[in-house]
Amino acid sequence: MIRAHGASPRLAQNENPGVADSAAHFFDGLASRGHEPLLAKASGTLRFELVDGRKTERWFVEVRKGDIAVSRRNAPADCVVRGERALFERIAQGRQNATAALLRGALEVEGTVGLLVLFQKLLPGPPRSRARKRRP
Amino acid sequence: MSELVQILDGNTFVVSDDRGDIEASRTDPTGLFSFDTRFLSRWVLTVDGERLNPLSVDDLQYFETRFFLVPGTGTVYIDSKLSVIRQRAVGDGFHEELTILNHDGKAVSLVVRLDAACDFADLFEVKDALQKKGRYYTRRSGRQLVLGYERETFRRETTITASARATVDEDGLTFKVRVPAHGSWTTDLDVVTAHGAGGTYVRPKYTRGEHRARPSMEVSLERWVAGAPSLECDSDPLRATYRRSLVDLAALRFSPPIASGRSLPAAGLPWFMTMFGRDSIFTSLQALPFTPELAATTLRALGSWQGSRVDDFRDEDPGRILHEMRYGEMTAFEERPHSPYYGCADATPLYVVLLDEYERWTGDRALVRELEYEARAALDWIDEYADLLGTGYIWYRRRNAKTGLENQCWKDSWDSISYRDGRLPGFPRATCELQGYAYDAKVRGARLARSVWKDEPLAVQLEREAAELKRRFNRDFWVEDGEYFALALDPEGRQVDCLASNNGHLLWSGIVDKSKAAAVAGHLLGGKLFSGWGVRTLAEGEARYNPIGYHVGTVWPFDNSFIAWGLRRYGFKEEAAEIAAGILDAAEVFEGRLPEAFGGYPRTQTTYPVRYPTACSPQAWSTGAPLLFLRTMLGLEPHGEHLVVDPALPRGLGHVELLDIPGRWGRIDAFGRGRVEVRATQGRRRI
Repeated sequence: MIRAHGASPRLAQNENPGVADSAAHFFDGLASRGHEPLLAKASGTLRFELVDGRKTERWFVEVRKGDIAVSRRNAPADCVVRGERALFERIAQGRQNATAALLRGALEVEGTVGLLVLFQKLLPGPPRSRARKRRP
Repeated sequence: MSELVQILDGNTFVVSDDRGDIEASRTDPTGLFSFDTRFLSRWVLTVDGERLNPLSVDDLQYFETRFFLVPGTGTVYIDSKLSVIRQRAVGDGFHEELTILNHDGKAVSLVVRLDAACDFADLFEVKDALQKKGRYYTRRSGRQLVLGYERETFRRETTITASARATVDEDGLTFKVRVPAHGSWTTDLDVVTAHGAGGTYVRPKYTRGEHRARPSMEVSLERWVAGAPSLECDSDPLRATYRRSLVDLAALRFSPPIASGRSLPAAGLPWFMTMFGRDSIFTSLQALPFTPELAATTLRALGSWQGSRVDDFRDEDPGRILHEMRYGEMTAFEERPHSPYYGCADATPLYVVLLDEYERWTGDRALVRELEYEARAALDWIDEYADLLGTGYIWYRRRNAKTGLENQCWKDSWDSISYRDGRLPGFPRATCELQGYAYDAKVRGARLARSVWKDEPLAVQLEREAAELKRRFNRDFWVEDGEYFALALDPEGRQVDCLASNNGHLLWSGIVDKSKAAAVAGHLLGGKLFSGWGVRTLAEGEARYNPIGYHVGTVWPFDNSFIAWGLRRYGFKEEAAEIAAGILDAAEVFEGRLPEAFGGYPRTQTTYPVRYPTACSPQAWSTGAPLLFLRTMLGLEPHGEHLVVDPALPRGLGHVELLDIPGRWGRIDAFGRGRVEVRATQGRRRI
């Protein structure tokens, strides 16, 4: 490995989280990362709104130079991302690309879009994608 | 077909005929386009049911044009009592001022009609003639007509508003007009593009009487040109080409949405007004001595979209730099992978090359520190993800077999990589220039690791890897009996033995053993590759050679600019000047705006360069080519805190001064006089 420091190990093969509540699984996993170098240049807050009929589930993500804190607060955020809960589930499973969903209007975003550009790097790829990665 | 007129602002542009009319067919690239979607496919003006006849078109500025028209078509003799002027400025749609002048002593009553319609085609559909899957609708109110298209949550709308009283139907607007004797009538027409549902109405960027450019970026056109070095020289064509290049480059800048409002060079008009990894990087390299801020924005924007996961549909890997970003319907519905698509094998090593070259010019170490993670991830990608066969080379093979790119190098058409006998190799393929870029990335990465990141072990490791790669490459790619480097290796490790322009990029990267450089330079300037105007993409005599084949015989100005830089790097100053002279002569014929490519016919045969049939223009890296030639001819090279100037200019250019070259030295001037005798000019003819 060339990356001598400041890097997290990455998976050559994507994770395939349980289908049951992938979004919760994803946000919980995010909280346990603590520091994420992919977000080292990001500082700000994102609020995700998962709409399920009349119910809206909110996840509040605070990023401070890569340090991540996750809560269920309903507070003002720099970037608000809204969409159907089922869509978020597919995104969290890697079955739906967030950028395409955004272009399609299925995901709506308000505020600092650049935060979402950096944040989407943390989303998993499709479960069945495989790259050839050289073994060290 | 009458000549097409193009005006643009960022990635919004209008292509019309010389009357200002748009009558697009499904496969025809005319219309109002924004974010890869056509927002007007029909926009036709009639007066009393008659089409108009063009007298002249004034290209006022890159975003603004004016059409002088008279009623009636098809007659040889025009004696009209009426003149019609359409003045159009593009920006968030467009603003059009329609004026009718009555030259008669009597008042006149007219029916003025604008037909409007839109197919909301994705640029990909325009290219491939595909059918739409959504539903069209229209809305009318007062002087306003809304054309819309909807597919699930995807919605695009065009709103047309007239300032004068109009009758609106779903196919356009009708004005019943009375123009007094020696008087005039006028209306404004605002055409606004909207993305998504429930968007609030915005005005077009420009309004009546406003003719000052307001580019969608931080720096205005005037400041942009004024901020670049000024060129004083004996050659009028060179001065004109330089000015054209700066202005076109300014027009080609755009701020990608979902990218924090930064601007970088898009690839070209009309198909490629978007972020391309390879094109943006090459253009930024060409423009470094002139407008280094382009490189900084390119590095940041590409860094923020750097690959982070494995995604076969998008050919994405961690650390990989994107190939192309698109915003249209087919991308939105994942019928195309451009959200963004990562299938190119060169942008990732070139990213490191650009970062290092940028620091060498500007001394901006803060950016090198800011992008340390991205640069390390890019270096990692070379060995961890690109070496598909574990042989120490960059190989490519698309994982998206349906809509991915077969050839992931700059020569990305299907037949660009072949053996001498014309057969096509299997996959994966390792084209030669990719190995050069990888070598250069490692050498430059080592410099950055040592001098900025303070990581000596990494520097040592990269230098060792670079040396091993160079040794291996000079053994495996060298075609002994031809004395040049093979175009590629095939999956069995055999040489794909065509002679191609890629050899010049190898000189630029520095991977070529000194002992082999003279033979390579000889080929580049030899009759099989050099046409007299420039170096052909593929050598005459190879089975697939075709002087108007996209990547198999045409001459690409961008390609040549890097070849000349490569020749300089190995000390072949005069050869570099010869190539510069040829391409700059061609630029003169194209009035300073080099096309993407032109025919590979021998210069002695055609006496003028033949434009490649569907080439884009302006094209960013063609626009950047004259800039890089200036650098190469003047021999500009940063050396520590200084700029070394070592000119080798073609004799025909006479005296050349480039003043106020920005860099870590502040501002510096460079002077040179043409002393190199070039062969090409002998057959030169003025057009």
